[in-house]
Amino acid sequence: MKLEALPWLVLFLPLLAAGIITLFTLRNKTVSATLSIGAIVTGFVLTLAVIKFGGWEARELSVNWLSIGGLNVDFGLKLDALSLMMLLIVTGVGSAIHIYSYGYMREDPGFSRFFACMSLFTFSMLGIVLSNNFLQMFIFWELVGVSSYLLIGFWFEKPSAADAAKKAFITNRLGDFGFMLGILTIFAIVGSLNFGTIQELLKVNPALFGASATLAGLLIFCGAMGKSAQFPLHVWLPDAMEGPTPVSALIHAATMVAAGVYMLCRAFFIFSPDALTAIAWIGGFTALLAALIAVQQNDIKRILAYSTLSQLGYMVMAVGLTGPTPAMFHLTTHAFFKALLFLGAGSVIHAMHHEQDIWKMGALRKKMPVTFWTFLVGTLALCGVPPFSGFYSKDAILAQALHAHNYPLFAVAVFVAVLTTFYMFRLFFVALVGEPRTKEAEHAHESPGVMIWPLRILALLSVIAGVMGINKIFDLYSSRVLPPFTYEIPVGEFSGAVKYVGRLLEPFQHAPVAAFGGLIAVVIGFLAAKVLYGKAKTDPLPAKLGALSRAMANRFYFDEIYEATVIRIHDTIAAISDWIDRWIVEGFCIGLVRGGTDLTGRALRLVQTGNLQTYAFLFVLGVAVVLWFVLGK
Amino acid sequence: MTTLTLIFALPLLAAIALAFVPRNFAVIMRAVAVGVTFVTMLLAVLMFWRFDAKAEGYQFVSTIPGLGAESLGIACKLGVDGLNVGLVLMGAIVAFAAACCSFEIKSREKEFYILLLVMTGGILGAFMSLDLFFFYFFHELALVPTFIMIGVWGRGEKKNYATFQITLYLSIGALLALIGLIALYLQVPADVRTFDIPTLTKFFTEHPMALASQKFIFPMLLFGFGILVSLWPFHSWAALGYCSAPSATAMLHAGVLKKFGLYGLIRVALPFMPQAAQTWMQILAWLALGNVLYVGWVAMKQKNLNLLIGNSSVAHMGMIFLGIASLNLIGVTGAVVIMIAHGFLAALTFGLSGYIYNQTGTLEMSELGGLAKKLRFIGVAFVMAAMAGCGLPGFLNFVGEVTVFFGAWAQPSLRVVTVLAVWGALIIGAVYMLRAVRAALHGPMPEKWADVSDANLWRKLPYALLLASLLVFGFFPKLLTEKIKPVTEQIVNMAVVKAVVAEKPDAKNPLTPALSPSEGERENRRQLSGSFGAAGDLIPDKKLPIAKK
Repeated sequence: MKLEALPWLVLFLPLLAAGIITLFTLRNKTVSATLSIGAIVTGFVLTLAVIKFGGWEARELSVNWLSIGGLNVDFGLKLDALSLMMLLIVTGVGSAIHIYSYGYMREDPGFSRFFACMSLFTFSMLGIVLSNNFLQMFIFWELVGVSSYLLIGFWFEKPSAADAAKKAFITNRLGDFGFMLGILTIFAIVGSLNFGTIQELLKVNPALFGASATLAGLLIFCGAMGKSAQFPLHVWLPDAMEGPTPVSALIHAATMVAAGVYMLCRAFFIFSPDALTAIAWIGGFTALLAALIAVQQNDIKRILAYSTLSQLGYMVMAVGLTGPTPAMFHLTTHAFFKALLFLGAGSVIHAMHHEQDIWKMGALRKKMPVTFWTFLVGTLALCGVPPFSGFYSKDAILAQALHAHNYPLFAVAVFVAVLTTFYMFRLFFVALVGEPRTKEAEHAHESPGVMIWPLRILALLSVIAGVMGINKIFDLYSSRVLPPFTYEIPVGEFSGAVKYVGRLLEPFQHAPVAAFGGLIAVVIGFLAAKVLYGKAKTDPLPAKLGALSRAMANRFYFDEIYEATVIRIHDTIAAISDWIDRWIVEGFCIGLVRGGTDLTGRALRLVQTGNLQTYAFLFVLGVAVVLWFVLGK
Repeated sequence: MTTLTLIFALPLLAAIALAFVPRNFAVIMRAVAVGVTFVTMLLAVLMFWRFDAKAEGYQFVSTIPGLGAESLGIACKLGVDGLNVGLVLMGAIVAFAAACCSFEIKSREKEFYILLLVMTGGILGAFMSLDLFFFYFFHELALVPTFIMIGVWGRGEKKNYATFQITLYLSIGALLALIGLIALYLQVPADVRTFDIPTLTKFFTEHPMALASQKFIFPMLLFGFGILVSLWPFHSWAALGYCSAPSATAMLHAGVLKKFGLYGLIRVALPFMPQAAQTWMQILAWLALGNVLYVGWVAMKQKNLNLLIGNSSVAHMGMIFLGIASLNLIGVTGAVVIMIAHGFLAALTFGLSGYIYNQTGTLEMSELGGLAKKLRFIGVAFVMAAMAGCGLPGFLNFVGEVTVFFGAWAQPSLRVVTVLAVWGALIIGAVYMLRAVRAALHGPMPEKWADVSDANLWRKLPYALLLASLLVFGFFPKLLTEKIKPVTEQIVNMAVVKAVVAEKPDAKNPLTPALSPSEGERENRRQLSGSFGAAGDLIPDKKLPIAKK
């Protein structure tokens, strides 16, 4: 088989699996799961083969999909360091989560439907990663949205799940609205949608976009805002936790929500400096807002969801600070440790018979040792404790903030790191150690092997991902999109076994302020959590913080504000339209015709008096008019 | 008999034959209707398959002798080009699906199936007719059964009012269009007068119509055809009419018959009256926005599932009008694509809501809920239809809508309208479609629906067929666009270039800047064409010399 066929196979195998499951094997659980898992694992292996034989060089495969006049849309695959690495993450983490789901969803009557949706999602996500033009990316963007809708609403009998699915889809659509307008703007100016072509055009003429450069960039960013749940479109992600936990791990932590960041990196060359500044601040603000909210949540999955929001904020901020490499680096490590944390949480929830309140757990170390230890690894990685992976990627972002001389955002990022450690160890102390708080917690038991092996693998990755040289691969891409003068040549590589030791210590040589800043943040956060929650029976913070704590617990009332403004206004307009339609448009048009006919009838009746003299008079009048008309001319 | 003659004559002949079958053989009626529409569909597929996208002019042309009047220039001449070949295919598929979905009819089957076949033959004839007279006549032939079917087999309390309203509106629309068409006919000198569309096209290309006549005739056709397509603010007949109609009627009318007005606009009004078209397009775009936005809002507020679907169907018409109003190749092609896509979609949604109605006896959304649990297949199909309705990629509707966006965006004067239309399509569409899914299918299921049952294999067939059509063309839109493109290009060139030449002979810029990129952009492209072969011909520049004359 030719090498060119492999990426196409990677992309279309999951779609094939989804199609076959939907059409033929809904009744057969084992076959459905085998197809779905097989597709994604094969995808992972094939991706490795593509990299092994083809390397990281940029290349493109495409066929024409639609061509009308000036509108030429290709269906293409863009292979380069960025997409291949992302492909590995999606298929790799995806494989682990698919396998885990086989255990987690075992008892569910919708088992086959679940795997069909998961495969559909995988196809859509791979499509985003491989797209070589904006419209194709938009197509898969929408498909990812719909698979997310289907999976959040997987338990559609539950009103909360059905509502959350709807909310997620519509909020994402708000972002897509901007994305679509951005695509239209770019096409109107450039006349092409292909990433490579646009980038070359911009190289030839940097002022190509003229006055609409910032606008176009911000409109495209709207798409990322929706998908990566950035403020003010962040409200859907926590609700999305209504879906099954593997879905939260795969879609709402590791891959789909990262698509926005990926897109920003892919289209990095179109953003003007002003647009980048706005992006950086929105990212930073989201990171802070979400971390604050996470501090006062009690649902284990919601804490992780807000943590995801906060970390996505980091990544978006990094892109805004002209650092695609740190953003993608953090995306990668985050995919590992956040998927791990979610799957660990799922294992706990599974053991606790679907109890998600951390204040009803406790003392799980003895009963669920694998889950406990892997969860701890995930926590340490997320908090950024060296030598776990999170330390290196977060450090890269902090260093980027310093490098861009954006000190306010550096301060925000360090503060968020404090909060991150605080809320994660709050979760850890309350839910995993101490005394069992309920009967369920006492009788918890470890999950089956099919669920804990993925945990072990992800834990291993969470430990070593920081020193595997992932950032060097992303640098291959960044060096091509960043203008040369802003791009800093990375610190020289060591070779052999020393290489890894060198990488372990690299942050401290490269940007010591950032590295020590991050470390101090971890220590502060940990000590605060230890003091407050080490032995707490109930949450001491509400008493200490009062209204602030209530605001945090209530997510700063964003849902309520939106409910009262955006939704209410749109609803009112709809109600007015409906009223007008019912009583005016319909009434008026019908009334006009009916009334008109009626009036004509009445008028004509007046003429028909039955009076012979009137008739005679009218007759003579008529004759006179005709005569005047004929003779008068 | 040729393929085209068969496609249109089979249903009509079957209708006549059914008239002689005694009324207690209901099974035969149904079998004949399903069988004949099935054969028609196969023929249409065959025709579509054999259609040569590269050939110029009309294909499969045939004249039915004996019909028509030579002295008036009327002849029953049939033919297809890229513009109607997809419509005929869509019409034939929807007709078969409608016949399949008619199992719900339990009284007066004989009359129902006869009318259904007349409707099918009529509308397919109207689309294929290359003669202005028969074009109109066949439409009327299909339209009248609609009224009768709603009046006799309709449902709901407001059935009679709905019949009254739809008859009134559509008759007035048809009347206006008729006046316009007759006036158009009279524009040709008496010695060469004809209803033959190709001849008329040639004539008006060589002898542009006087501006004064254009200004009179164009609005007649625009609003006449517009009312038939539920152009805002003449739309209120549609939702209520479809809500009260039996499924098959709603499927055929909303899906196929309604496209007649749009087809007429593109086939007749645009190329024959280019200057008037130019002046009206701005207004048409805003009216189209009325459909997309305003009717979309109205749809958000509906409490009855069928009223919601009906309003959404009206809202989709706005996208087609917007495509026409953009008056460039991309936009008009997109409009034709949505015409076909919406045909499949409208048939699908009304068919599905009909199925639900037959199971539950109500379509009030507050009464429904949780049905996805019992109606597995219907639920999945409904979700897919809802997604197609809010423009999800993979379905043909997306291709059409996105193409219309690109076309309309290319007209700077339509940018505001386009932004709002994108809002309507992406947001409002999603809001009401997901609301319908949430209310009817999701959530806990009330006890009373415990014994509703899912479709069996035979009942699934029409829905699967329509979904497959949407998906196949949605995945491979070139199957359609390659056929449509040459014709729309011709029409747009007639409409745009001629208008420019006639109105401003010395104009430096043509009216559609989309076709003439600014100097700076062209410079970029030229530079690029060295390194990027394809980028050089991103936008065809060949039209410029004509416009600059």
